Amino acid sequence: MTSNIVQIPGQVGRTDRPFLEVSDVSHAFAWEGDGKAVLCNISFTVAEGELVCLLGRSGCGKSTLLNILAGFFVPTSGRCLLQGKPISGPGPDRCVVFQEDALFPWLTLRENIAFALKSGDLSGKKPVGEVDRFLDLVGLDGYGDYLPREISGGMKQRVALARVLIRSPRILLMDEPFGALDAQSREASQELLQDLWRQRAQTILFVTHDVQEAVTLADRVLIFGQDSGTIQEELVIALERPRDRASELFQAYCRRLRQGLR
Amino acid sequence: MAGEGRDILLPLLIPALCLTAWYVVSETGLVPVYLMPHPETILHAGAGYIFGMPGEGAYAGRFLNNFAASLTRVLLGFALATALGVPLGLLSGRITLVNRLVSATVNGLRAVPGICWLPLAMIWFGIGIKTTVFLVAMAAFFPIYLNTLTGARLAPPIYMQAGAMLGVSRLRGVFAILIPLAMPNIIAGLRLGLGISWAYLVLGELTGVPDGLRAVIMDARMLGRIDIIVVGILLIAVIGRICDRLLFLAMRLCFKSAGRQLR
Repeated sequence: MTSNIVQIPGQVGRTDRPFLEVSDVSHAFAWEGDGKAVLCNISFTVAEGELVCLLGRSGCGKSTLLNILAGFFVPTSGRCLLQGKPISGPGPDRCVVFQEDALFPWLTLRENIAFALKSGDLSGKKPVGEVDRFLDLVGLDGYGDYLPREISGGMKQRVALARVLIRSPRILLMDEPFGALDAQSREASQELLQDLWRQRAQTILFVTHDVQEAVTLADRVLIFGQDSGTIQEELVIALERPRDRASELFQAYCRRLRQGLR
Repeated sequence: MAGEGRDILLPLLIPALCLTAWYVVSETGLVPVYLMPHPETILHAGAGYIFGMPGEGAYAGRFLNNFAASLTRVLLGFALATALGVPLGLLSGRITLVNRLVSATVNGLRAVPGICWLPLAMIWFGIGIKTTVFLVAMAAFFPIYLNTLTGARLAPPIYMQAGAMLGVSRLRGVFAILIPLAMPNIIAGLRLGLGISWAYLVLGELTGVPDGLRAVIMDARMLGRIDIIVVGILLIAVIGRICDRLLFLAMRLCFKSAGRQLR
């Protein structure tokens, strides 16, 4: 089966200048006495419109990398370029959907999404009707006046998605956003994400530890090593969408990724 | 509906029991009137003090003046404490350098009982409103500062990160994210501060000011009018309680985060 798997690193949608370019990024947390690197000379690129998964076990440094790209951490060395411009500090061109619920608990769903509109350079530019359009987009029309604590975890993550999509970020950074959801909500959320990704041609970098999730979503998977802080392997998922989880080839990809994780 | 009625009546139960007990001991003569006057005497004294026409008796109709004088002192002192305590608490809670700078001084001053400031305040500000306002502000500052600091320090960083990635500037982040997150603690601090403000009003009005709710109690003590003393005490309790409710309602009205967060 494995012979069917195409393995051409980073060939999907490549243009001359990469959309996102990460080169030689290393990171060590200052408070760790031995200064052991969490990330070690990470280099990869993401093309515009591509959906790339960072796959790895917990503690492998994949979330640290996402935090660096989001601008929350400054890497010890190396550089990250988005459309040729170096990343410095957080900004609405690189929106994050967090693993935990990060909606503002004192704002209704509508106000949470509108909050994004009132921030930074977008303030007052888009009409408020946009908010309801985005609630609708993630299938939550009619829930605008609810508070975050009144809805389920799956719905919260959909609101979090609407809140960042309304900013039209250049790249969407997702840090195991569906990790805490039950199986049904997770599948529904994955489907919704794929729909939105297709409709909006949104570039997405998606962190996960779930092999099935990676094969379901990704154009390309970057597999992190267990302790090395490096990308062990890069695998293009050459499956037609929508992907059939029951198919032989899907299972073959899953097996292949599991091997890579070892 | 039954629940609503219970919610209104339940807080009144203890005061009602106390009143009944008071009535019983007064009626039976268990406690002599020079120690504790009969409730009806108090009622008459209170009615005269609040609604009476000036000139009808020694204390008739003086309530409004006294109340206005005391309320002004409390509100001025409380406002001063809030204006200093909340911003300084937010800064200390978020910026380690600021906390290092001020925490030793603040906690040192906190150890000084408010009454120690009285002689100094009288020398600095003389007898009158300034001394009282100073004492009230001095006392109310600490609970407001400390609670705001705790609220700001405990604010989960993920919400600041969420704000930052949405492009929120630092200044707007303070008002739109940090203050709402710290709101439950800020409200706790303000309520404690306001309560202490009323307590320290008593201290400030000890010093020979002519009007004020506490001044009237001191005045009545010298004239042996125990009924007026009890009226003054009850009024301070009632007004303190009403102020606390009003503060809470005002915060809920002004800040979404005050009403919607149950933490």
